[in-house]
Amino acid sequence: MRAAIGLADTLTPQQVGHLRHVENLSLQPANDWSLMKGIGTGQDDFGAYRFQLAYMAYALAITHVHRLPAAPGVFKPIFERLIAKLLLPESWLYWRDVSRGGSIFNAHLSDQYREEWNPVLRDNIMYSAYVQSLTLLYNVLFDDDRYAQPGAISFEHWSYFWGGDGHRFEYDQNTLNEHLYWKMVESGYLGVACEPNCIFQICNQPAILGFRMHDLLTGGDRASEVTRGYEQAWQQFGRIGDNGHYHVMLAEDTHAVRPNVARAPWVDAWCGALMNMWNGDFVRAHYPQQLADLLLHQPDGTLSVRSAPRPPVQGHVVLNDDSDFGWVAAWASEMGDEETLRGLLQHADRHMAPRWRDGGLYYPRNDQAEDADGYRTLVEPMTGNVLLAYARLNVRDGLRGVYEAPWGEDHFDEPAIVAVGSGVDVLQARFDRATQSLRFTVQTRPDRPSTEAWIVLGRIVGRAGWCLLLDDVPVASGDTSTLTCSGPVSLQPIDRGLELHWSGRRVQTMRMIFEHDATAAHTHEIAGRVKVTGSPLSRG
Amino acid sequence: MPFESGTVNTMAGCGEFSLIDHFNRAVTEQVFRGSPTLVLFGFTHCRVVCPRALARYAGVLGQLADEGWPVRGLYISVDPARDTPEVMRDYLQPYPAFLGLTGTTAQIDQAKAAFRVFARRASDPDEPDGYRVPHTAIAYFLDAQGHCLSHFADALAAEEVLDRMRPLLTTQSGQSGA
Repeated sequence: MRAAIGLADTLTPQQVGHLRHVENLSLQPANDWSLMKGIGTGQDDFGAYRFQLAYMAYALAITHVHRLPAAPGVFKPIFERLIAKLLLPESWLYWRDVSRGGSIFNAHLSDQYREEWNPVLRDNIMYSAYVQSLTLLYNVLFDDDRYAQPGAISFEHWSYFWGGDGHRFEYDQNTLNEHLYWKMVESGYLGVACEPNCIFQICNQPAILGFRMHDLLTGGDRASEVTRGYEQAWQQFGRIGDNGHYHVMLAEDTHAVRPNVARAPWVDAWCGALMNMWNGDFVRAHYPQQLADLLLHQPDGTLSVRSAPRPPVQGHVVLNDDSDFGWVAAWASEMGDEETLRGLLQHADRHMAPRWRDGGLYYPRNDQAEDADGYRTLVEPMTGNVLLAYARLNVRDGLRGVYEAPWGEDHFDEPAIVAVGSGVDVLQARFDRATQSLRFTVQTRPDRPSTEAWIVLGRIVGRAGWCLLLDDVPVASGDTSTLTCSGPVSLQPIDRGLELHWSGRRVQTMRMIFEHDATAAHTHEIAGRVKVTGSPLSRG
Repeated sequence: MPFESGTVNTMAGCGEFSLIDHFNRAVTEQVFRGSPTLVLFGFTHCRVVCPRALARYAGVLGQLADEGWPVRGLYISVDPARDTPEVMRDYLQPYPAFLGLTGTTAQIDQAKAAFRVFARRASDPDEPDGYRVPHTAIAYFLDAQGHCLSHFADALAAEEVLDRMRPLLTTQSGQSGA
């Protein structure tokens, strides 16, 4: 029986390193934001924790769907921890201040705004859409509706020293989605504002992803309604300016568009990477010229991006993690532009000081714009923790695939790795329906105890006979009532499935073949060759 | 700690309004309780969206009436400056299933908020009086108690709307008969 996919589909060491880094950050204690603090103050810029958390989760979604579809156990716990961090006050408390709308271009409106504690009630789609899309995405990816329970999404803050009696706002994935949908309707589908009066194209795209996930769960049609309305609403402004680059934002009160005059890379790249979900032809049509204006071909053969200078405003230097480089890499990955992506990642590996920490790979923050030779060295946490990982893990139309339909029919009935010990990396996990076999490659981590090297094979209840092959040699077999295994592996039935331990090489590829009409005789034949050599776990 | 609920009005159409109908009678949302209603927002100078929607929904309401499901149609103006009760009455003559509602700007704003409707005056030299009023093109289906059972985007064909309304009406009928 031929494997459904080849070794090329296994994760590379760098990809595994990025996943580990995301996991490491997710495991930090509450309010330990080590390595995540950017140059901005007060979480009100584009490098804020909420953006890092959200795009780490999107990167997990892309990787799960396209690279490790049969390994929910790798992603689910990380996803939960990222959502938990997104709900921490530190992620949203900025809104209490930003809601007052005192931006320089809102000076004429600031008297009308008041302090608002609820971070999703009005405006602030730059936060609310991430909570909405992540919780709904979680439900879609893992078939777990925990965030649909009443009050499952809670924004809570109380301080011993200030803030009065405290604040608590409760939602669930459906009430939040409904709220954002109607905010979108009230806007005439132009979009919900981020900072007061500022409707960014970029920040409404995650809400559209959330609407789509809700549609997938409920059979609704909100996403297509909203995107159709969005197209009509933006027709009078055009989404793109005379210079061919995406508009940055629209003022809600005057409907004045702020074009991307300076050709800031993050505007095009962030917008394009997201809008490709539902508007791929449009994004692809403009990508080549937009990219040509932004890309730098360097003497050493690598690629970088040309950032737009931020002029001083009212005598102040604007400190903002634009993450131009990271966003262009993410955009190129979504476009499937391998040449550009390769050039950018080569630059990152050569000039941005990649670092390994606790098994995780990242590019540490560096505020220095360039080195003595003029190569870009600026690395924002959003780029170094998240976007380069996202780009390296993504595939062509990766987010678009998540948007359209992450799973085929019967996905949640297919055997999968449903839990993973902390001593294991999963490099490959795919169930092949044609051969009814789960192929997976696991790697033990040398920096973790061997007792943590285990996985749980789940979703096998109700299936008839199966056998497990290690290096194409049968090592275990079983059915609904019996379990037999040999020396290199041990299998322990637990509630969630079969807990698998193994010994031997650090990297092992295994295949679990399930009996079905076409292979019943073959599976029996293979199972018959299992040699019981150790102390097998027989459960009769 | 006090619980500040999300204060989410997720279900449009539950709010209060006070308007003038196209017979010059003062009405509130209470007047329309007691039977299901289909609510549209629009303006009589609308060239495309409103005539198309009114024609479509007039057909839907006619079909439902033939099937024994009387549903009242309401057409609320978002252009109070031009849409007087008399103008509304004339405009809706081809659509007798619909009752026109208008009012002062403040009254219209309250109704828009109740249904979470977008409408905004936009300059357009090609239009009479130099403006038009882009607005939300959603139809709201309310039960006899004024709760919004569903809403329909403008892109839905009449048959799709009927397919969605029939089971809701059946359920409502079952509940009221229980």
